Amino acid sequence: MMELDRLWGELPALLEGLAVTLELTVLTLLIGMALALPVALMRNHRSPALRWLAVGFVFLFRGPPVLALLFMLYYGVPQIAWIRESWFWVLVADGFTCAVVAFSLNSAAYVAEILANALRAVPVGEREAGLAAGFPPWLLYRRIILPHVARLALHNYGNEIVFVIKGTAVASLVTVVDLMGVAQQIYSRTYDPFTPLLAAGVLYFLLVLLVSWGVKRLEHRLSPELRGPRLARGPSK
Amino acid sequence: MSDLDLFAWGSGWGDELARGLLITFEVAIASYLLGAGIGLLSAFAELSRQRPLRWLAQGYGLVFRSVPELLIIFLFYYGGALALRWALKPLGIGRIDISPFLAGTVALALIQGAYAGQVFRGALLAVPRELVMAARSLGLRRWQVAVKVTLPLALRYAFAGLVNLWLNVLKATPLLSAIGLQDFVRAADTAGQNTKRYFAFFLVILAVYLVISALTLWFQRRYGDRLFRHIAPIAGGRP
Repeated sequence: MMELDRLWGELPALLEGLAVTLELTVLTLLIGMALALPVALMRNHRSPALRWLAVGFVFLFRGPPVLALLFMLYYGVPQIAWIRESWFWVLVADGFTCAVVAFSLNSAAYVAEILANALRAVPVGEREAGLAAGFPPWLLYRRIILPHVARLALHNYGNEIVFVIKGTAVASLVTVVDLMGVAQQIYSRTYDPFTPLLAAGVLYFLLVLLVSWGVKRLEHRLSPELRGPRLARGPSK
Repeated sequence: MSDLDLFAWGSGWGDELARGLLITFEVAIASYLLGAGIGLLSAFAELSRQRPLRWLAQGYGLVFRSVPELLIIFLFYYGGALALRWALKPLGIGRIDISPFLAGTVALALIQGAYAGQVFRGALLAVPRELVMAARSLGLRRWQVAVKVTLPLALRYAFAGLVNLWLNVLKATPLLSAIGLQDFVRAADTAGQNTKRYFAFFLVILAVYLVISALTLWFQRRYGDRLFRHIAPIAGGRP
């Protein structure tokens, strides 16, 4: 089913596509995190108005399919006259930026929920201890709460990274030539679905495996309770 | 053409959109049920004593949860027809085409099955061992324990996860528009192309999806609590 000659010939193109996929993934994760952190803090805020705003954000960008969000940005939003004349235009200028915006908003909604749950799971005693020691709020968050949140959220965040990697393939439907896009181009040129799609599938699979392994190692490093008791070496006397 | 006329039945695009929504639901329900069945089988396989069976189920889950949905859908649609043609050539059946509906439903079902497998596996492991042992010592046969004790409890534990999977499959169906299925999103796309009013159509699509997901979450909250009434803490405290 796989044709090896063709695979060798097309491999450079596929790797170039993989680079675009990585670019999409990293941009989505960075922007998604930047949006998600304030939303997560608002989600647990004292003010009901801020809480509801956060709930609304999550509902709005997690509810619909990513493809519908993406098509809205790519086909729908540019039709509004004032958008075309404002700086918003940069955000929906081409398929790539539309994809980054759509994926970031969607992922931010999921990450905000993950972070909000982790924030709630930080023992209240840690917060009280920090306040009693005279930490100002920002230092309390930077030194005590957020490090603990990172540890608590890492497992679910690792799953979210995998979903983002897989989700980027949708960008190929709005003219982005990522790994999936390259595979489609090869198919429409050669009418051989197996070689390009299986090769791209293997590359995605390896990428996901690598990321999952990395996250697991990091989890292990950050959570001593997962490592079990450290045993003394040699005979103890 | 005013905005409301765009959605008129017949002259507008209301009927096309409704048909698209119907197809979306058909695909989603078919692949959801199929996927749940596959997931249950794969969970039992993953917990079985046979090592090859365990490996098979683990490998299936890992692959279908790691590769993009869109890629699997393309592979089934373009590759599936080709593979069937090769397989049936000796029988003298030359031309075979697979509909986007069929290929898409099978692809989505296999993807859902991989996730449902995880949900069911966790739910099966959450059933207390003591209950199973008690049932066995009362003289129930293995299959009776599975049907009367393990599954009813496991389905309760799986409920929240299974509802989430329904939302997942509903949100994955628009990917089938890429292989030509006339689903809800594709219908809006076609309407937009013909009228150049993309914004209005996609706004309606987004709103409908938000309503569906709100209803699903409401259902999950309302019935999720009810399933655990038998172990719910007694309300109130001291009289």
